[in-house]
Amino acid sequence: MALTLEQMRADIARMIHLDADEIGDDDSLPDLGLDSLRLMRLAVIWEEAGLRADFSMFAESTTLGEWWAEIEERGLVN
Amino acid sequence: MTDGPGAASFALTEAQEGLWYFQALDVENPILNTGQYLELSGRPDLSALREAMARMIAETEALRLRFRRGPRGPEQWLSDNAPVLAEADLTQSADPAAEAMALMQADTARALDLRRDQIAAFTLYRLSAERFFLYQRIHHLGIDGYGFVLLTNRIAEHYNHLTAGGPAPLPFRPIETASAEDQAYRNGPKRSEDAAWWKAAMAGLPEVQGPTPGRAVSGSGFLRHSVWMPQDLRAALAAFSEHHDLNWTDVLTGLTGAYLARWTGGEVVAGLPFMARMGRKVARLPCMVMNVLPQRIRPDEEAPLPDWLRGFTVEMREARKHGLYRSEQLRRDLGLVGGARRLYGPLINIQPFDRPPVFAGIDVKLHILGAGAVDDLTLTFRGDPDSGMLFEVDANPALYDEKAIAGHSARLIAFLRAALAAENLARVPTASPEEVAQIDARNAATAHEIPGTTLIALIEAQMKASPGAPALSFRGEVLTYAEVDRRSAALALQLQAMGAGPGQIIAVALERSFELSIALLAIQRAGAAYLPLDPDHPADRIATILRLATPLRVITSPDLTGLFAPDAPLLLSPDFATSGQPAPSGAGPEDMAYIIFTSGSTGEPKGVVIEHRAIVNRLLWMREFYGFHAGDRILQKTPATFDVSVWELFLPYLTGATLIMAEPGVHRDPVALARVIRQERVSTLHFVPSMLSAFLAAPASQGLEIARTFCSGEELTADHRDRFHARIRGELHNLYGPTEAAVDVSYWPATPEDRSNPLPIGFAVWNTRLEVLDERMRPLPPGLPGHLYLGGVQLARGYLGRPDLTAERFIPDPRQPGARLYQAGDLARLREDGAVVYLGRSDHQVKIRGLRIELGEIEAAIMATGLAREAVVIAREDRAGEKRIVSYVVPLGAHQPGAIAAAISRSLPAYMLPSAEVPMSALPVTSNGKLDRKALPAPEFSATGRPASTPAEVMLAGLYAEILHLPSPPPAEADFFALGGDSLSAVTLALRIEQSTGRDPGIGAIFEQPVLAGLARIIGGEETSENGLGTLLLLAEGDAAEVPLILLHPAGGLGWGYRTLARALAPQRRVWALQHPCLDPAEALPRSLSDLAARYLQVLEAAGITGRVHLAGWSVGGLIAQEMAVQAGARAGMVALLDSYPADVWREEPDPDPVAALRALLAIAGHDPEGHQDLDTRAKVVAFLREGDSALGALPEEVLDAVVRLVTDTNRLVRSQYHRAMAGDLLHIRAGRDHAGRGLTADLWQPWAARVRTAEVPFLHAQMISPEAVTEIAPILNAAMRGTGG
Repeated sequence: MALTLEQMRADIARMIHLDADEIGDDDSLPDLGLDSLRLMRLAVIWEEAGLRADFSMFAESTTLGEWWAEIEERGLVN
Repeated sequence: MTDGPGAASFALTEAQEGLWYFQALDVENPILNTGQYLELSGRPDLSALREAMARMIAETEALRLRFRRGPRGPEQWLSDNAPVLAEADLTQSADPAAEAMALMQADTARALDLRRDQIAAFTLYRLSAERFFLYQRIHHLGIDGYGFVLLTNRIAEHYNHLTAGGPAPLPFRPIETASAEDQAYRNGPKRSEDAAWWKAAMAGLPEVQGPTPGRAVSGSGFLRHSVWMPQDLRAALAAFSEHHDLNWTDVLTGLTGAYLARWTGGEVVAGLPFMARMGRKVARLPCMVMNVLPQRIRPDEEAPLPDWLRGFTVEMREARKHGLYRSEQLRRDLGLVGGARRLYGPLINIQPFDRPPVFAGIDVKLHILGAGAVDDLTLTFRGDPDSGMLFEVDANPALYDEKAIAGHSARLIAFLRAALAAENLARVPTASPEEVAQIDARNAATAHEIPGTTLIALIEAQMKASPGAPALSFRGEVLTYAEVDRRSAALALQLQAMGAGPGQIIAVALERSFELSIALLAIQRAGAAYLPLDPDHPADRIATILRLATPLRVITSPDLTGLFAPDAPLLLSPDFATSGQPAPSGAGPEDMAYIIFTSGSTGEPKGVVIEHRAIVNRLLWMREFYGFHAGDRILQKTPATFDVSVWELFLPYLTGATLIMAEPGVHRDPVALARVIRQERVSTLHFVPSMLSAFLAAPASQGLEIARTFCSGEELTADHRDRFHARIRGELHNLYGPTEAAVDVSYWPATPEDRSNPLPIGFAVWNTRLEVLDERMRPLPPGLPGHLYLGGVQLARGYLGRPDLTAERFIPDPRQPGARLYQAGDLARLREDGAVVYLGRSDHQVKIRGLRIELGEIEAAIMATGLAREAVVIAREDRAGEKRIVSYVVPLGAHQPGAIAAAISRSLPAYMLPSAEVPMSALPVTSNGKLDRKALPAPEFSATGRPASTPAEVMLAGLYAEILHLPSPPPAEADFFALGGDSLSAVTLALRIEQSTGRDPGIGAIFEQPVLAGLARIIGGEETSENGLGTLLLLAEGDAAEVPLILLHPAGGLGWGYRTLARALAPQRRVWALQHPCLDPAEALPRSLSDLAARYLQVLEAAGITGRVHLAGWSVGGLIAQEMAVQAGARAGMVALLDSYPADVWREEPDPDPVAALRALLAIAGHDPEGHQDLDTRAKVVAFLREGDSALGALPEEVLDAVVRLVTDTNRLVRSQYHRAMAGDLLHIRAGRDHAGRGLTADLWQPWAARVRTAEVPFLHAQMISPEAVTEIAPILNAAMRGTGG
C-alpha cells in the first residue's frame, strides 16, 4: 500500500499525541513536539511503507506540506 | 593550485571553533580523527564502487577543508585537492583482516597538520575476492556523526544508481550553507534568547563530576568495551516504552542518566549529543554542526518510573528547542572553563540511525573506529530495539581501566533490566545481581564455628594448663599463671560475696598494675561484666558513667578515691582477698562481658554492652589467624577504656603467652616504649596510627624487631606502612572496628610488598559481614562510596539503658530477615578484590570544588617531603560554604614557611594543595591518644601596613579580602600569596579584576606584582604591564640606594621562577629579572649570547640602572651573567652562577634531543621533569602546562610557543658562545646532588674569571631556585654581595 499524505499525517499525530486534524500542512512540526529521534522512528516506518528517502530529507524542512511536495516531485513513493 | 592560504578563506562556525581550540591546545593529538569502515562481503562491482566514491568525494566539499590561524582567529578554506580513494591488496597477507585493522588504526592515530594535510582519507582494502574493508577517516572539524552517515549512505546511493538503476541522488549543498546558517544564528535574536534560557536552566548547577573523580580532559586515545544489548532487554525497553507511550530513546537516556546519577551524588549532568540539523538547510549536508547539550538528570527515585520519565522527556524536549546554542559558549557563560570545572560529565549518545548502508547485492557491516574526544565516559547505543543495538562504553584511560568500564557496561545493563521491571528507581540497587551475589558469598565465607562459651571459661582452662608459665609481667616482676589464678579466684569469691554475678556490673578505675589485670579476671570469674573507668578522666565524666551504669562496686586504688563521690561503693585494691575459690561464674555466651563507654554525639557518653560470644569470636579469630603461641609476649599499653585494650589484656591468657604491662604513661613516650620493647622482648603490640607515626619518627624506634604490630583506631596510611617497614622488622596489620562490634571486624596485612594506597581496612573477620550500602540501604558495587554497615556475631547487644539509641544504630538487615546491621557512621568503598577502603567519617566527607579529596593523600605527600615529623590535613569551614584545606605540621627541623607547599605542589594537583599551613610543636591528642581534631586552631592570615588609599588599591583590597576571606581589607603592602593566595585564587583574582575594571590584567601581572599597591599601579594604568613578560621585571622591591641584583633568566627566557629567591634577598636591595626579548614572538632571535648580553645592558641603562649591579643566573642565566660581567667591566659587582657550566662543556656533547629541551620547560613551570616521564612530546608538554593551573600554562599561546622556541634556541646560543675572561671574581654555587660522574665543577670557569669562589648546596640542578634551595642560597648570595661592597 502506497504511502499517502494522510497516512503520514496520522503517523505524525500518533507519535506526538495529537489528533491528525491538529496538524496542518504548514505547521512547524518541531514546534508541535516532533523531535529528531521521533522523526527517525517515522522515517523507518515510512521506509517500510515504501518510501525511498532518507531521514535527512525530512530534517531539512519542518512542515508536512514541504515533505509531501518533495516526495511527489521526486517520485519517492512506490 | 590554491592549496595554500592564498585561497579565499572564511570563518569557522561556532560548532567548529570548540574543536579547533581543543586541537590547537594539543596539535599532536589524533583523537579528533573520526573513522569507520564498511565490511563488504560479496562481489562488489569495483569500478562502480570507485566511481561512487569519486562522485561522493566530488560533491562533499567538507572533505577539502583546510584550517589555519588567521589574524582574526581560526579560519578555513577549500583546497583544490580532494582526497582520492586509495586501494590496498592484502590478499597475500597471512591475516588480511588483522593487517587491515592495524593499517587503519595506525592511520587514525596519526595527527594531522590541518593547514597542509587532507582532512579525509579513504582506502579500499581487498582482503579476498569476496571481502573488502572500505575505510573512511575524516577530521571532526569537517564532519560529525550524522554527516558521516550522510556521506556513507551517499556512496551506497551512487553505487546503487550505477549498478542497479536506482535514482541518482541530488548533490549535497555547498559547505557555505553551514557558514550562512551559522552566521544567521550568531547574528539573530534567537541566540541571546537561547543564552538566557540555558543560563536559567543551569542555575544552581552543582559541581559537575563523572563516576570517577579527577580531571576529565580527553587524551589521545580511549578504551572501549562493546556488547550487544541482550534481546530480552531490548524487548523490555520496547514494551515498556510502548506501554507507557514513551519514546524508547527518552527512556534509555533517562535510565542511563539515573544510573550515572548514582555515581555522582544523585544528580548527573549528562552530555547529550544533539544533531542540530532538524529543520535547517544543513540537514542533508555532510559537515560539523552537532552540539552537546548538558542535561541535568536528578531522578525522583520514589516516583512511579513512567511519571518521572514523562517529566524528564518534557525537559529534554524544551532543551532541544534551544539546542543551537553552543555548549562551549555556555561553558564560558557559566565560568566553567579551566581547572577541573566542566559543563557536563559522561555522554549519553543514542544513535538509532547508525545502520549500515544498503549496497545492492553486497552484505555490509558498519564498524565505528572513533568518534571524537572522550573526556570521561561516552555511553553509545547504536541501532534500535527491534533490529539490534550495539552498546559501547568508551572511556578516558586516565580515569578508567578496562575492568572499570567492563563493570559499568555489565552493571548498566543489569540496572536497565531491573529498572524496567521496577515500580520506581528506589527499588533498584546500583550493584548488579552478580555483584550482590559476590558480596554475599564473601560474607558467607567468613563462617567459622566457635565454641559456645565465655571468655573467662577459656582463660580458666589455660590457667590450669600451664600453671608454671609466666603470665603477667610488670615493672620487672612476673606472676605465673598459677599465681594469677589464685589471686583472681580469691577476688572473684570476694566479689561474689558482695553479690556479683551474671548481669551485674563492676567498675574498675586502676592504673596499669597487677591489680588491674587481676581485677578484670576476677570480675568475670564472678560472672559479672567489667566497666573500665579512666583515672585520667575528669570526675564529672566518671560520675556520669557511674550514674548511667549503676555498678555493684567500683574497684580502685587508695590514691584515686578523690575521683568518686563519698557514697560510691568502692573496693580498694589493698583490700583484695588473697585466698578462696569462687563458685562457677554461671555466665553464658549471651551474658555481658564488658561495657565500654564511648562519647555520644549528644554529649552524654553511651555504654556499649559486649557479650561473651562476641568477644570470644574476636579473640579466637585473632589467636588462630595470626598464630599466637605460648612464647608470645604481648604489650599492654592501651587505656582500659579504649577497647583495643581488651585483646591486649586477655589474648595472652587465651594463648598461654605473657602479658607485659607497660608502666603508666609509657604509651605516650617513644623512648620509654622502645626501651620496654627491647628489654621485655615484646613480640606483639598495638599503636594508634598517629602514635605509630610519632614512634617511627623517634630515633629510638630504628632497627626494632617486633613480630606483629597492630594498628587500629584511626586511618593507617600507605605512608605509615612504608615508614614502618623502613624502620622496623616485623609484620604490620591494619585492623578496623568500632567499640560496637567487639573491637575489630576487619583486617588487612600491611606487608612491605603491599602497594595499596589508600591502605584498605580489608576483609571481614570470622562470622562477620561488611556491607557498603547507599542512603536507601541498597548494596553498592566496588568503587562507589557509601555507608559501611557491620553484621554478624560480634555486634554489641546495644547501648546500656538506651533502647532508643540502640534502635537507631542497630537496624534490621534489609536483606537478611532477623539479622541486625550496625551503622558504623563511616564512609567506605569496596575494592574489586572485596577489600573495604575506609574513606572517613560520614559526617566529615571532604569535597572541595566538587572534587572528592582524600586528605590522607595530602598528608602522605607532606610526610614524603621529609620536612615534617607529623602532619594532619583537614578541611576547615571557618566561613560558611567555603571549605579550605589546612595542614598542621610538626616540622622536622626549623619550619620554613612555604617549603612544604612548594615541595608537595610537585606531586599533587593544585586543588589538593592546602591553602594554609600551621606549624605546631605537637599535634593535640585526646586522652585515648587519638588526634584531637577539635583542638586544631584556625589558621591566621595577617598583614600590616598603610591602608589602601587610591581607588584602585581600595578596589583591590576588597577583592583580596573577598577571595582570600580576610576579615577586613588588607593594607597596601599586602602580598597576595603571603596571605594565602595560590595559583587558583590568582586566576579568580584576575577574573574579578576584569569584571571590576573591564580589563584583564593577565595572571602574569599578579605573579609579577602580587603586592597590592604594585598591582594597583598596574591596573590603575600608572604603570604599563606586559603581563609579566617585559624584558625587565621588578621581582622584589627594596632599598633603591643599594646596588641592585639582576637575575638572568634560564633557557626558557622567563624570570618568574626567581620570585622566591628575590623575596629572600629583599628588602635590602631591589631585585630585578631580565627576561628574553623574544618572549614577544615578533622579536628577531639574537645572533649570539654576546649580543643578548649587550642588549640587556642597554635595557638596564634605559631603565636608569646605570651604576653598579650584582649579576646572578641559574643554568644558562649564569652564562649570560658572566658575559654581561665581561661587557660591564668594573660596573659588575657580585657575579654568581647557580650551577652553570661553560659553553665548551656543552659543545662537546651531542645535540640534545628536542624532547629534553621541552622538558626543561616543565622545570621552569615548577614541575619536576623526572616526575613526568610521560610528557615526551611538545604537544604533551604544552597541553600539560595548559591544563595545569601554573602561570606558564596561562600564558597566551603565542608566548608559550615562544618559550618553547627559546628553550631550543638558547641551546644554539650556548654552543656558539666563546667565553672571554671577566675582570672580577666569579662565585659558583654548585648543585651538589647532581652531575655524579660528569666532572661538572666550578673549576671549569677558572680560565674565564680573575678568581673562582665556590659553594655547594645539596640539591639537584633542577631544584636550584626552589624554595628549599633558596633558603640555603640566599644567605650565600647576601654574604657575597656584602663582600663586594654592595
